[in-house]
Amino acid sequence: MKSRQIKIIILLSILALSAGITPAVSAMHIMEGYLPPRYVVAWGILCIPFLAAGYFSLKKTLQRQRKTLTILAMAGAYMFLLSSLKIPSVTGSCSHMTGSGLGALLFGPSTVGILGIIVLLFQAILLAHGGITTLGANTFSMAIAGPFAAYAVYRICRKLKVNKKVCYFLAALVGDLFTYCVTSMQLAIAFPSETGGVSASFLKFLAVFAPTQIPLAVIEGLLTVITMIALETYAKNELSYLGFDVGVKINVKE
Amino acid sequence: MKIVKDGIRGSNNMFGHTHDEHFSIDCFAYKSKMNHWNPTYKVFLALVTIIMCLVLNNLFVSLFVIMAMTYLIVVKSGLNMREYISVMSIPFTFLLLATLAVGFDFSRHPAGEINMDLGYFYLITSKRSLLEMFRLFIRSYAAVSALQMMTLTTSSSEIISVLKKMHVPVIVIEMMNMIYRYIFILLELNNKMKKSAHARLGYCDFRTACYSFGSIAGNILVVSLKKAETYYNAMEARCYDGEYSFLQENKKTEGVHIAGASVFVAFLLIIWFATK
Amino acid sequence: MIEPILRIRDMEYSYGNGEMALKQVSLDIYKGEKIAVIGSNGAGKSTFFLTTNGVLSPQRGEIIYNGQEINKKNIKELRKNIGIVFQDADNQIIASTVLAEVGFGPMNLKLHKDEVMDRVDEALSYMNLSSFKARPPHYLSGGEKKRVTIADIIAMKPEIIIFDEPLASLDPYNADMLEEILEKLESEQKTLLISTHDIDFAYRWAERLIVFANGRIIADGAPIEIFQNREILRQANLKQPALLEIYESLVENRILEQDDIYPKNVRDLKKLLSNRGTEEKHEKQTD
Repeated sequence: MKSRQIKIIILLSILALSAGITPAVSAMHIMEGYLPPRYVVAWGILCIPFLAAGYFSLKKTLQRQRKTLTILAMAGAYMFLLSSLKIPSVTGSCSHMTGSGLGALLFGPSTVGILGIIVLLFQAILLAHGGITTLGANTFSMAIAGPFAAYAVYRICRKLKVNKKVCYFLAALVGDLFTYCVTSMQLAIAFPSETGGVSASFLKFLAVFAPTQIPLAVIEGLLTVITMIALETYAKNELSYLGFDVGVKINVKE
Repeated sequence: MKIVKDGIRGSNNMFGHTHDEHFSIDCFAYKSKMNHWNPTYKVFLALVTIIMCLVLNNLFVSLFVIMAMTYLIVVKSGLNMREYISVMSIPFTFLLLATLAVGFDFSRHPAGEINMDLGYFYLITSKRSLLEMFRLFIRSYAAVSALQMMTLTTSSSEIISVLKKMHVPVIVIEMMNMIYRYIFILLELNNKMKKSAHARLGYCDFRTACYSFGSIAGNILVVSLKKAETYYNAMEARCYDGEYSFLQENKKTEGVHIAGASVFVAFLLIIWFATK
Repeated sequence: MIEPILRIRDMEYSYGNGEMALKQVSLDIYKGEKIAVIGSNGAGKSTFFLTTNGVLSPQRGEIIYNGQEINKKNIKELRKNIGIVFQDADNQIIASTVLAEVGFGPMNLKLHKDEVMDRVDEALSYMNLSSFKARPPHYLSGGEKKRVTIADIIAMKPEIIIFDEPLASLDPYNADMLEEILEKLESEQKTLLISTHDIDFAYRWAERLIVFANGRIIADGAPIEIFQNREILRQANLKQPALLEIYESLVENRILEQDDIYPKNVRDLKKLLSNRGTEEKHEKQTD
């Protein structure tokens, strides 16, 4: 990281502090009881096709190679760990990685969906982040929208022959930003502004989350690059276990 | 010197709260006096309560739920009041800040009932919005209380067994059981690595801290992938053949509990009807 | 003639990367034997255990359990009758309560639930763990975790129990406890295989010693014979047990006379020394 980048991060962090309202929805979880019943149901239903796809692909993978069960479970636990780790931050405000970008790169977006809903449930149970009735909405933003966006960006960048590190960075960055937009949208739909309706409310939530989420996305992007490099250096063999996913096949070949 | 000190403090506060407290959320369930209650009953009680909070959307119902859940956790489950407040303080601050964002709007024009000039734009709100914000806060807090009632008295493995009874696919159940176990293994691993990184000044400045964090994250992933295979072997060594079946202690639902829950739900409905 | 309980012939195993981990391993194991398996790290001990238990299937060779040749179909017989207590308890424990953990093996044996309950209770009281039943493993100490992993295997009631480096990372108190448990198992005529780097323990405990080096068994026999064979010790990078060395130097310096019965523990040595004292006294008196 260059000193200029650090300066930018510091600047953004000061912005975050000065903004005053730094919503502690740190990893963008919508809290229990926050969404009205119809949105609970709607987001839940919206998740079903993605989760079903994830379930079937998981089942197929396991039928082919039962050993992947423990690997995937480890990956799930790892996602939980990542999301509960406090990443270094200048302001001291608590910021967490979502890990969904990294997950999507390693395991593919549909598998991350299934792992994601389990991890989110554990976060609700063990850490009181998120909740049961908001599980659908949270799963959609964090375990479906984010990973799919990250994965898409990664594939596109690879096609365009962008430098691999830049690919990782962009994938994680866009994954995070997309999650942040989707969450803002979910909140905006549930709580439209009195004067300006859903669109005004959407902009408001975007603005409110921006001071924490944008630097966070940048940091997560950088950390994902470091993590992927560490993996490629020390765990070539282990990465090939994950060979059921295209994203990694590319990594391993190179 | 000061930076190093800060760094160390940061590591202890990795969950916003102290490390021990994180573990203790899970640990309360094992110590709870409500631990011997039937887990399905507790899960359903929590779910029904949350749903009632949302559907009835009534301030008094929510307030009553908060009181009832506090009673259950402090009196019936035997959790120390101070500990309870400390556990609830995390979701409390989360909720407070999140509801603030709902109650206020930004606008270029002073279009609201109450406007605050902030130079470039106005922070606007109305009495109705503020009231709405308050109701949302109380409703969410009630729902969180009900959720906490469940998690503070029921161990995660039991919650998973309830999901199994609700016919969640076996693969997902297996996965959940394993993930729950692995979470603690990885947390311990992370703790050890973090300590050793601190011991070598791995958090002396922001840049190094980022680098250490990334390397630890990568390293844990490597180790966990290696462990995954050892795990599988250990399971196969004990005749695992693709069907993960766990022994569970049978905990009977008592008639008193069912009656209690019915009275509770009826009471919520009465409050709702009376204050509609 | 007594039939061996387990007979292994020319077993070979190589990992995916082509590295041969086991080369032409052959041995017979008889009921009730106390065998110590020694050899440096990466000599093939753990691979040997995993193939013996049927988790890894060897590329070549045959395994005969109780007169029955093992193939793909009856590999479960091996897993049922040969239990492994893994080195790192955290790699073995998978369930989230002690009850579920110890019940995991018996449940996989497809026993009736009551039978499983009985076995779990029995194994827990055997390991002095009854009060831990509802506890999750992540709130147990290292020694307690080890005991849980042993209870895991006891509940499956195998004929042969393999301990993969059970003494590693145990404090002296827990190590003593482990030796007591081994004695208990021995009195029940269980066949025990223990891999260890603690040669003093191997010398003290084992009736038979198997030495691995580079995937081969380079020696198989009575501990005392093997520990006196410098060539084998050199090949396997092993040292002599302290007690044996002391005894030999005592003999060399004519403090003790060479005896067929070598002292196996400090108590035996003390006895020999005090016997010598009384003999000397006798000699003086007869003078």
